Amino acid sequence: MTMTHPGLPALWVNLIWLFMLLVSLWVLFSRVPERSEHRYLLMSKIPLLGRLVHFLNASPWPLQLMKLLMVGVFLIVIYAGLQGTQIPERNLSTVMTWNLWWAGLVIAVFFTGSAWCAVCPWDALATWLVRRRLWRRAVPNNSLNLKVPKWMRNVWPALLMFMALTWFELGVGVTNDPYATSILALLMLVMAIVFLSVFENKAFCHYVCPVGRTVGYYAQLAPVELRPINTDICANCTTLECYHGSDTIEPCPTHLVMGTLQQNTFCTSCGNCVQSCPDNNVSWRLRSQSVEVRQDARPRWDEAWFMLGLLTLTSFHGITMLPFWYEGISQFGSWIGDSGRLLTSFSLGMLFIMFAPIAVYALLVFWAKKWMGDRARFTQVFSVLAFASLPLAFSYHIAHNLNHLVRESTDLIALFSNPLGTDTQPLGMMEKHERHLNMIISQDTLFWLQAGLMLFGFWLAMQVIRYRGYALFAEKKLWVIPIIIFAIAIHGFDLWILSQPMTMRM
Amino acid sequence: MSSKLNKFLLALISLIYMNNLLAHHVLGRPSYSLGEDSTTPPSMQVETQIGQYFVTYMVFPAFPKAGQNGRVNLYATHMSSGKAFNGEVTFKVKDDKWFGAKTEILGKQKIDDGVYRQGFVFRQDGDYIISAFFIADGEPYNIDFPLRVGQTSAIGPIGLTVLAVFALLIIVNIIQRKRLLRGKIQAAAQEKS
Repeated sequence: MTMTHPGLPALWVNLIWLFMLLVSLWVLFSRVPERSEHRYLLMSKIPLLGRLVHFLNASPWPLQLMKLLMVGVFLIVIYAGLQGTQIPERNLSTVMTWNLWWAGLVIAVFFTGSAWCAVCPWDALATWLVRRRLWRRAVPNNSLNLKVPKWMRNVWPALLMFMALTWFELGVGVTNDPYATSILALLMLVMAIVFLSVFENKAFCHYVCPVGRTVGYYAQLAPVELRPINTDICANCTTLECYHGSDTIEPCPTHLVMGTLQQNTFCTSCGNCVQSCPDNNVSWRLRSQSVEVRQDARPRWDEAWFMLGLLTLTSFHGITMLPFWYEGISQFGSWIGDSGRLLTSFSLGMLFIMFAPIAVYALLVFWAKKWMGDRARFTQVFSVLAFASLPLAFSYHIAHNLNHLVRESTDLIALFSNPLGTDTQPLGMMEKHERHLNMIISQDTLFWLQAGLMLFGFWLAMQVIRYRGYALFAEKKLWVIPIIIFAIAIHGFDLWILSQPMTMRM
Repeated sequence: MSSKLNKFLLALISLIYMNNLLAHHVLGRPSYSLGEDSTTPPSMQVETQIGQYFVTYMVFPAFPKAGQNGRVNLYATHMSSGKAFNGEVTFKVKDDKWFGAKTEILGKQKIDDGVYRQGFVFRQDGDYIISAFFIADGEPYNIDFPLRVGQTSAIGPIGLTVLAVFALLIIVNIIQRKRLLRGKIQAAAQEKS
């Protein structure tokens, strides 16, 4: 018997629809916005928070201690998956990985940007093993330091990895398999070590890691950023310690120069630049959540595909948790003669759901481009407007993940006191009911949060269309209509998924 | 009035009792003391679709140990007619490994109340694959089902990872040393000339 979570109530859905229509009309009738000034607040100047930031940045040890903690948890997760019970809801490996970490990670990005990458256990272990140092710069750095081949210097590998991760997660069912979860984690660790041993800097984080790239793109919408305090100092800097590193501090792992940094995408929040800058000119600051995505981030063809892939695969996650998904795939499997675990049917379904909306987006861009004539290339319009997909994906992703986190992550004390799930039994229906009744927050609060996120995501997407669309289309307002239609259609579809009962994962 | 009330209460109690029974059946959740022949032992269930049949496999108990009696139940229903397959199913077992896996026949079973039941006892812990084979409408059907008996060692995957990582680090180290040496030789040669 399958248990489901209730979906977002109709009242909320209707209100969000009304909001979406009103905002869309406002975009068409509002004045064309000018590029706004980048306003920010240095976190070091904020009472209490400033002290915390100073404590974290003043010495490498707080970060190293957090890394040690993460690596410890990571190793326990691996061991629990390999050696513990294979009942997914009783094993720390599956609950920690899929219900807490993977679900909570996206929510964490909303507040802390790419901070996860700074304490990532895959990177920490790989660095310690390859560099053979806990934190200081290793000379020589024990890597072959080969340049990453030109054809790999993009985020296509990360997109393929993200697709593979989704396939393993939802198709193969790794989320319900502690052993496979641990194997997957070990595989990622091996890949991180291989890339660090062979290529210069952190090519795995930069081009391949699906988690790092997901965090990186969503971090464009984070309210925090690591930037220079005074850009004039950077402009006159000739030594570029932020890029090259210093005698004791490693260089920037993803080849970023602080003086020209405008987007969070590839910043791993490692803080090397903070430590190495001789002028103490790098700091964390608070900012508007829309400023990067609507004007600062640079459009690129491969990155546009990654953002659109995030959008469609996030919707795909939701679809697979609807009760009729299995029946549909089963029916499809019988049509095409698929058998067993129906992996062929699942794969085809996944590819269709991933690429059909992107094809529709491409058609709408083509439509807008036709109005424009030769003012811009198709790839340019495609890449620029793809930024609108990022807030749509992010808001739905968090709203969906909140369901998992709030409804399926209770009874953690029992789990942490018996991480291997020794002598436990599968979760009974009564316990599942109890979980429903003992949620971390009330159901009404959850609905408020989900609805708020969906409103916020659509509002940000419209801001992107206003700023980027009008700049691209030389202020011709009607030309943004195709992309507004796309945003309404995809967000409306995500809203519909959110309003449906969702199957419990474990 | 009181007899009507009694009847109503009796009906209510019966309903509550029936609901409990139904729930217990639907849950399939165990009492700890129940054996493999009970109707509700802990089980692992896998549903799959093969050819024209929906096949459901259940293993009792869900996580068997060496020396412990267990049972596999197989249900196969035709996708379009919904009728249960009525024939003979052969159950086999082999080690879940890439090379040198020996296959043993566990038994051949006829349908019993819509279900094919096959008992088993494993002498050793390990990973096995149980296969169910039957012929329906002239077509052969073979369903493989992985089964872990007892706890398997975690040293396998961790050992492999450690081995692979150390091999890689050693190779990289050797290459790097050669590079450094070559650099030194070239520098010395340049100094000489």
